[in-house]
Amino acid sequence: MFPMSSQKMYWIFSDENDITELREKTNSEFIEKHGVNVPRDQREEHFLTTSEERILLKFYELQLRDFCRRFVPPMPRPTVATALHYFKRFYLRNSVMDYHPKEILVTCVYLGCKVEEFNVSISQFVANIKGDREKASDIILNNELLLMQQLNYNLTVHNPFRPVEGLMIDIKTRCTSLENPEKLRPHIDDFLERVFLTDSILIYAPSQIALAATLHAASRAAANLDNYVTDTLFSREHLPGIIEAVRKIRSMAKCVEPPTREVVRSLEKKLDKCRNQANNPDSEIYKQRMQDMLDEDDLRDNEKYAKIIQDQAEHDEKVLGVSKSLSPSAL
Amino acid sequence: MDDQICPRCKTTKYRNPSLKLMVNVCGHALCESCVDLLFLKGSGACPECQIPLRRTNFRIQLFEDSMVEKEVDIRKRILRDFNKKEEDFTTLREYNDYLEEIETIIYNLANNIDVIETNKRIEQYKKANKEQILKSKSKLGREEYELEELLELEKQQEEERKLELIKQEVEMKKKKIREKEALIDELMFSEADAANIVETFASTIQATREEAKVVPVAKVTQFSTGIKFGRQGQQTFMPVPKVEEGPTYCYKRIEQEVEGPHPPGWQEMESGGYIAHVRSEKPAEKAGGFKSNIACLRALQEAMAGLYHNPSQRPPESMAI
Repeated sequence: MFPMSSQKMYWIFSDENDITELREKTNSEFIEKHGVNVPRDQREEHFLTTSEERILLKFYELQLRDFCRRFVPPMPRPTVATALHYFKRFYLRNSVMDYHPKEILVTCVYLGCKVEEFNVSISQFVANIKGDREKASDIILNNELLLMQQLNYNLTVHNPFRPVEGLMIDIKTRCTSLENPEKLRPHIDDFLERVFLTDSILIYAPSQIALAATLHAASRAAANLDNYVTDTLFSREHLPGIIEAVRKIRSMAKCVEPPTREVVRSLEKKLDKCRNQANNPDSEIYKQRMQDMLDEDDLRDNEKYAKIIQDQAEHDEKVLGVSKSLSPSAL
Repeated sequence: MDDQICPRCKTTKYRNPSLKLMVNVCGHALCESCVDLLFLKGSGACPECQIPLRRTNFRIQLFEDSMVEKEVDIRKRILRDFNKKEEDFTTLREYNDYLEEIETIIYNLANNIDVIETNKRIEQYKKANKEQILKSKSKLGREEYELEELLELEKQQEEERKLELIKQEVEMKKKKIREKEALIDELMFSEADAANIVETFASTIQATREEAKVVPVAKVTQFSTGIKFGRQGQQTFMPVPKVEEGPTYCYKRIEQEVEGPHPPGWQEMESGGYIAHVRSEKPAEKAGGFKSNIACLRALQEAMAGLYHNPSQRPPESMAI
């Protein structure tokens, strides 16, 4: 459960500033590392800033969601949510300029499918991707291990869907004054959709998000759940904290707005110039590096075989030498 | 012995002195080379009675009459299961009846008298006395093992004794020669009376001989007691292999932190009516061991877990990647 999970240990932050700080640090580290040849005053011009990165990531989060919605066979919601989680977590400590989001996006979805036991093979998976499928599957499989490593192998994600079910059961059982709780569901689903585009999943517990969604839905459907929350669910001392959390989640979900196409297009152009070419599968550097790695493997294999052959020869010599001295003809 | 003949290839002991006849459970003999030929694949049918046989069950015929061989084989098999001892019965009469029954079964099987009925009887007995058989078997095994060890020990002691005797004999011979030489020397060079010298020598030899006689007797008693001691010593157990062990494992219940309102437990779920709001499991799910109350409990637990979570309270631990 969540209170003892790696999610709570490593991937829940105290507030939005915390996350922003981390992102700024990642951004500046990348610029420090790769901007040696760029004069200091041109750096802002050349590289993406943290906020620009955010805009791009928001765009790609939407892309991820749309990709999953169009996915054949239809993908269950927890899988989508897990993939989004991975995507967010990955870009906390990695810059957009280092790894292109469009590659990490599909890798996240692929890994999410595996972890959430939504069974698709890689060929089935890339059938959903437009363009060169072989290249896509190469990219996914190459990036999969990197992604897992960057997630620190904390692959279990607690999503708010089951807590929503639990709350619904609890409401149906203990809050009988509410008629037809099922009418809340469409609103809850809407709200959760939006929550996943915010950073609140990196700050709040899934059960809190579920509660916020339920309360939001109740206000939308003009249902009254206040008595249930204040009297049945919580004792007085915990109430202020929870109300604050719910308020915050709702306000965060309110200000989701998709970035405009023009902005995204210009940012992508900028990204193409400043991205780390070593991680671009189309670049010469990347190809060179891959080739080097392959050669190195070959070389290592060759060395290994050479050594084995040598050992064998030595062994033979030793054995034969002994047998010679033992044989009567040698005497 | 010379009329030993392989029923298949008609080779006789006379023509082939190294002929070895083998028998299997059915009691029909075959020579070694025929067995090799027929049972190349490990199993096959007996050429005489067509009973399917395994090659591994073939063994060298000990008795001339293969019927005896068969009987011995059956007896061995039957006694493996009918392994009760006299101590297991309350009266002698019962024990005798039991022995009688075993003999009947063996006779029946060896002479093919209602085999099916008899086999059924054996099965029945086996089923009824499963535990008893197993227990006696292990006891028997232990006893056999002990006996073997005893024999081994005795053999060893016998050998020792033999060696000792030979050594003593050699010693004795040497001693005699030495004594003779000493006597002759004495007679040659001494100026004392010859008869006197001979007498003293004879008396000393007598004395040493008596002494020597006492010693081996003492040794023999030691041997016989040694066997007795050995018998007590047989009760040793197989040495227990030593395993490096840390502190023993101690079960501790996993404490599930809830960090929220306490979710209902198994009982409350039924009594509180929570279960009514979950769809009941399908037969296929039930077969897999999933019941609706598991899903219900988990949903409720997850809904409550972490509700009191306060993000500003604890900064996440820094993580090195």
